[in-house]
Amino acid sequence: MTDPNLPQEPPKNDPDAYDASSIQQLEGLEAVRKRPGMYIGDTSDGTGLHHMVFEVLDNSIDEALAGYCDEILVVIHPDNSISISDNGRGIPTGIKFDDKHEPKRSAAEIVMTVLHAGGKFNSNSYKVSGGLHGVGVSCVNGLSKWLRLTVRRDGKKHFMEFQRGVPADRLVETQNGVEVSPLKLIGDTDKRGTEVHFLADEEIFGHVEYHYDILAKRIRELSFLNNGVRIKLLDQRSGKEEDFAFSGGVKGFVEYINRSKTVLHGNVFYSTGAKDGITVEVAMQWNDSYAEQVLCFTNNIPQKDGGTHLTGLRAAMTRVINKYIEETEAAKKAKVETTGDDMREGLACVLSVKVPEPKFSSQTKEKLVSSEVRPVVEEVVAAKLAEFLLEKPADAKIITGKIIDAARAREAARKAREMTRRKGVLDGIGLPGKLADCQEKDPALCEMYIVEGDSAGGSAKQGRDRKFQAILPLRGKVLNVEKARFDKLLSSEQIVTLVTALGTGIGANDFDIAKLRYHRIIIMTDADVDGAHIRTLLLTFFYRQMPELVERGHIYIAQPPLYKIKHGKSERYIKDDHELNQHLLKLALDGAELSPREGAVVIAGDTLDELARAYLLAEAVITRLADYIDSQALHALLAHDVELSLADEAAARASVERLSRAIANGVHVEARFDDKTERWMLRVEKTVHGNLKVGHVDEEFLLSGDYKQIRHAAQLISGLIGEGAVVRRGEKSQGIASFAEAMQWLLAEVERSLTKQRYKGLGEMNPEQLWETTMDPAIRRLLKVQIDDAIAADEIFTTLMGDNVEPRRNFIETNALNARNIDV
Amino acid sequence: MAEPAPRIVKCPACGKDVSWKPESKWRPFCSERCRNIDLGAWATESYRVPASAPPDPTAE
Repeated sequence: MTDPNLPQEPPKNDPDAYDASSIQQLEGLEAVRKRPGMYIGDTSDGTGLHHMVFEVLDNSIDEALAGYCDEILVVIHPDNSISISDNGRGIPTGIKFDDKHEPKRSAAEIVMTVLHAGGKFNSNSYKVSGGLHGVGVSCVNGLSKWLRLTVRRDGKKHFMEFQRGVPADRLVETQNGVEVSPLKLIGDTDKRGTEVHFLADEEIFGHVEYHYDILAKRIRELSFLNNGVRIKLLDQRSGKEEDFAFSGGVKGFVEYINRSKTVLHGNVFYSTGAKDGITVEVAMQWNDSYAEQVLCFTNNIPQKDGGTHLTGLRAAMTRVINKYIEETEAAKKAKVETTGDDMREGLACVLSVKVPEPKFSSQTKEKLVSSEVRPVVEEVVAAKLAEFLLEKPADAKIITGKIIDAARAREAARKAREMTRRKGVLDGIGLPGKLADCQEKDPALCEMYIVEGDSAGGSAKQGRDRKFQAILPLRGKVLNVEKARFDKLLSSEQIVTLVTALGTGIGANDFDIAKLRYHRIIIMTDADVDGAHIRTLLLTFFYRQMPELVERGHIYIAQPPLYKIKHGKSERYIKDDHELNQHLLKLALDGAELSPREGAVVIAGDTLDELARAYLLAEAVITRLADYIDSQALHALLAHDVELSLADEAAARASVERLSRAIANGVHVEARFDDKTERWMLRVEKTVHGNLKVGHVDEEFLLSGDYKQIRHAAQLISGLIGEGAVVRRGEKSQGIASFAEAMQWLLAEVERSLTKQRYKGLGEMNPEQLWETTMDPAIRRLLKVQIDDAIAADEIFTTLMGDNVEPRRNFIETNALNARNIDV
Repeated sequence: MAEPAPRIVKCPACGKDVSWKPESKWRPFCSERCRNIDLGAWATESYRVPASAPPDPTAE
């Protein structure tokens, strides 16, 4: 127990056998015990321990490769000993009469005790063979506390036990006058095969405990690579049991790798071939991930670091696929160039070669260096791959699409990196020349206006409070895309300027919000469609590339006025149309009164205000709905207090009756039953310039707030106006026949009494005006951009950018429409 | 649950769902790759919005 390098227990019954020749062979295994790492791998991290199993297992696999074995059982026993049994031919048990040892030993004993002994060195027995370290089972024997060998062969069960590599309880007998040591016969059997049961030596490995998953992974590999050889793994510690019988070879292996992934194309590429004694088998299929999973094997041994076989595969792929992409002009259309690296994204591949005498860069065989392998792999892959791409055009298209995507992503990342590395972006030295910075240095007190257009930038620079307000004029670049179509964009130069001014840097690793130079970043663009688009572009940029700025509430939108109203001596800036309408109404009702009929009580003040508001809201609804339902019909609802119902056929027909009576000629209304919804509806038809315009009033409309709004106003003004109705405002008065006429007269009166200026752009305002309307913190209104606003901007932007032309055009038209309405 | 469910946004590059929370490091993108693709598009001036015709310089 003191010296682990020496056999602890010499054979007991025949101490004399422990002679010079024994020493000779013991020296071999002694070397293994002295430097186990060199033979079996790291003994402290579990690598070597698991290799012990694989080393023995490889002998059984070799039997399978030779075609003599199709079933292997691996058992992890409760004491962490391992037994591996196969149904192969069984290790030869006969006496080697040319053995120099005395007594002459059996072939089985020699295999178990002599380094580099065994059938593998005779190329007749095994053409190619695995063996993780090629040192054979004798190493395992030497590193085991005990090993029990049972060979079933020729109807007999043969048995021998070893302790730390030394035969225990050796049997010695005389055959033909020669002293020999055969295996013990322990019974008869009708089975055949080899069974090795061993307990790894704690003195070598420290803690002996196997990981089920490590064994399972390797066993799965072996089953795939050896076309379905059946290996059963049984863990008696937990009762877990798995049958590995994966047929389908490397193709099945690739399908297994992709089992939990989304594959991009249906057909797995497969090729196999042999040349100069080298056999190549390869399968490939792309999935939608970005990671590459390529497994290389030489004689069943995995090469983590690839080697000449992988180089051959890559060379063939690059050559064939690039040629295909070139011929189909796919890359030209995408304006990218593809490289070999682009082909690796999402690639699942198993490459297995069988080589007679492989050379590896190291003991652990993690890289194949046999140069003769490369051209064979290249040849086997290239021809078949070119054929595959031609015969499976759908797969080819998807694969090249994925590769082009990868090339694009690589190119984009490169461009992005180039931009983020540009001078000034990172170091913050040298602020952009266009930036008019402020005097204050505390970012919390500073604000920066991003102003589109140089002229507006000029006004802003003059109008600002230079103490804490900085101005950055940005100019969108306009491109003539088609004859009458123009696009605007932010040049990369402008983006660099913006990022430099902000001071934060940009990109995954460089953005640093702590370096932000202004805590208020205010986007100030013209109040028209172009301005809205530029604002959308900027918001999208912040949302996507600097979302922290939005999250922390650093982004604002300035609210420059759209109108200036001069009424008498007072001046007023108006933000938008809604505010304008409110303001005009307020002025119109100021001092107004309505005599609804001869001798009736005069309506004025709050009462008139309420009536007017309800009426104008209903009018706004009618204008908005005009495209869907004829406005004449809707006006009839409002002016004549017509109530509609679609509860049943009778109600629908009565509604038609009431509505028809209220509408002038030219509009036709009828009740229809809609088979799809199984409901009654009103069909409203009108002929405009010879074209039939059709609208529908359905139950949904009758339940809507729009209808309620119209009904509310209709009830308020119903029967209000009678004979001799007059509206007055100040000293003027006008006889009217309807409430609508009264409103029209009042609003027209106001319009006459004021001047209204509409600002088409920020540039139309002088510096003082810009300050007092939009930049003076005491007066201005800023809109703080919330995440939802930014998401909305991104959606608008996506629509604008979309390949789908229709929504894009609709969107632009809708916005143009809004802009037109502003002019009213 | 005390915490409200995080907002889900679509990755602007690939359309995958992304939870808007600090653990989503690349938000609104699903990955660094997608974010880089987007930044590359800004860098190469691929993003444009429609604009009205620029004022005709000869008309001045």
